[in-house]
Amino acid sequence: MGDSQYSFSLTTFSPSGKLVQIEHALTAVGSGQTSLGIKASNGVVIATEKKLPSILVDEASVQKIQSLTPNMGVVYSGMGPDFRVLVRKSRKQAEQYHMLYKEQIPVTQLVRETAAVMQEFTQSGGVRPFGVSLLVAGYDDKGPQLYQVDPSGSYFSWKASAMGKNVSNAKTFLEKRYTDDVELEDAIHTAILTLKEGFEGQISGKNIEIATIGPKRIFKVLTPAEIDDYLAEVE
Amino acid sequence: MFGFSSLVVRMSSSSIVEAPPKGGFSFDLCKRNEMLSGKGVKHPNYRKTGTTIVGLIFQDGVILGADTRATSGPIVCDKNCEKIHFMAPNIYCCGAGTAADTESVTDMVSSQLQLHRYHTGRESRVITALTLLKKHLFNYQGHISAALVLGGVDCTGPHLHTIYPHGSTDTLPFATMGSGSLAAMAVFESKYKEGLNKEEGIKLVTEAICSGIFNDLGSGSNVDVCVITKGEKEYMRNHLKPNPRTYVSARAYTFPKKIEVLSTKITPLKELAQVVEAGDAMEE
Repeated sequence: MGDSQYSFSLTTFSPSGKLVQIEHALTAVGSGQTSLGIKASNGVVIATEKKLPSILVDEASVQKIQSLTPNMGVVYSGMGPDFRVLVRKSRKQAEQYHMLYKEQIPVTQLVRETAAVMQEFTQSGGVRPFGVSLLVAGYDDKGPQLYQVDPSGSYFSWKASAMGKNVSNAKTFLEKRYTDDVELEDAIHTAILTLKEGFEGQISGKNIEIATIGPKRIFKVLTPAEIDDYLAEVE
Repeated sequence: MFGFSSLVVRMSSSSIVEAPPKGGFSFDLCKRNEMLSGKGVKHPNYRKTGTTIVGLIFQDGVILGADTRATSGPIVCDKNCEKIHFMAPNIYCCGAGTAADTESVTDMVSSQLQLHRYHTGRESRVITALTLLKKHLFNYQGHISAALVLGGVDCTGPHLHTIYPHGSTDTLPFATMGSGSLAAMAVFESKYKEGLNKEEGIKLVTEAICSGIFNDLGSGSNVDVCVITKGEKEYMRNHLKPNPRTYVSARAYTFPKKIEVLSTKITPLKELAQVVEAGDAMEE
C-alpha cells in the first residue's frame, strides 16, 4: 500500500491525506481495556475495567480513574504511562488557571488545553502521539459534561460513550438504553451492565473502577465496597 | 522602587519559540529612583500590614490570631483586612510585612501544595509548606518582605512555625510576629502554659492580639482567630470587635450656606440591560 511508506514519520502526510501514526495510535487505544462514560441529568459517571496482568499484582495500587480538579475527573483506554503524563499536565494547567483567575477552570477549557497538548505531540519533531483516548467528566456552571479526547487532539462532547476493546458492542448497548433524562443512580447501573456485557470472568468491585460527579459537584472514585453494593443491586 | 518581573503564567501551550522568561527582580529603575529622591520626590509607600500576628499550640491543635489593620505609611488603608491565609484544608498562615508579598507568597505555595496533594493522594504536611515558603523567600534574599506565622495539624501532630523574610525559620509552642509582636509576646510569656484547652487558648490569643491592637500604632481594628484541630478547622473572622464606631452624627451632611441647589437629577444605579439576539455562536 502506498500508505506504508508514509507511516513512519509522524509529521508527514500520506497521499491519502492521513497521518498514519495517528491511525496507529487509535489502534493502540482500540486494543486497550474498555472504558465508558454516561452523562445523566444530574451528574456524570465514568467506569473502566481493571484487568491486571496477574493475580499477584496489588490491585489497590492501580488507579485508572484520576481526579483533575475537585469537580472533574478522567478515565482512559490505551497506554497507562501516557495517561499519567497527561493527567499531570492537565492538573498543572487547571491549577495555573486557578492561580490566575481565582475560579475553578470550566470543563471545556481544560479539555481544550489537554487536547492542545495532545495535538502538539502530533506536530513536533522527535515525539510520538499519546497512545490514549481520554473520557473527561466534569460538572460546572454549564451542568454535567462528558468529553472524549483522541490522540489526534480532537475532542467531542458525548451524552454517553465507550472506548477500547469492546467499543462497538458497548456503544450499541448504550444507544439502546440511554435516555436524556436518566438519573445518576440509573446511569451507574447502566454503566455496570455495559461493562458486564463484554467482561471475561467474574465482575467484582476489585476488577472495575467507577467514579461519579453528582449535583454537589464533587468528583468521587467509588470504593470497591460501594461498587460491590451497586453490583448486588444490578443482580 | 524596583520593578518585579517574574515567571509569567502561560495559559495555552504553544510551540512558538519565545525568549525564556526572566526570573527574579529587575533593578533597572534603581538609578532613576535615586536621582528622583535626591531631587526631593517622595516615592509611594508600600501597603504594609503593620500587624500583630500570633499562634499557639494547645492540647488539640493550633490556634492562630491576627489583627485586621493595613497601613500605608501613617494612613490606615484597610480597616478590616484578612491576614490569616488559607494554605491547605489543615494549614493556615498569618502574614506580616508588605501585604502584596504575604498574599502572593501564600497563594503561590497554596497552589503548589494543591498540586502536591493530587500527586501524592495525601493530606499536606506543615513541614512541606514550611520548606516551600522558606526556599522561596531565601531565593529572593529578603527582598520579599513577608514575615509569616505558619500553623497546622497533620498526620504527625500539631505544628507551629515562624518564617522570617530572609528565609530562616523557628519551631515554637507559641509565636508572635509583626510590629505588635513585643506587646503580644509579653502576654504570651506571662500567661502561656502547656495543655491549654480550646476556650483558654482562644482567650489567650485574643488577649495577645488586643494587647497589640491597643499598644501598637501599626495594629488595630478587629481580632481574627483560626482554630485548627485534627480533621477540622474553625475560621472565626472578626471574632472580637473591640473598636466599634460608636459615634455617628445624627445630622445629615449639609452644604455650606453659600451653595445653592439649582437642579436635581436622580439616576438609578441599576439599568435595564437590553439583550440583543447574538449572531452566529462562536465556533469552538
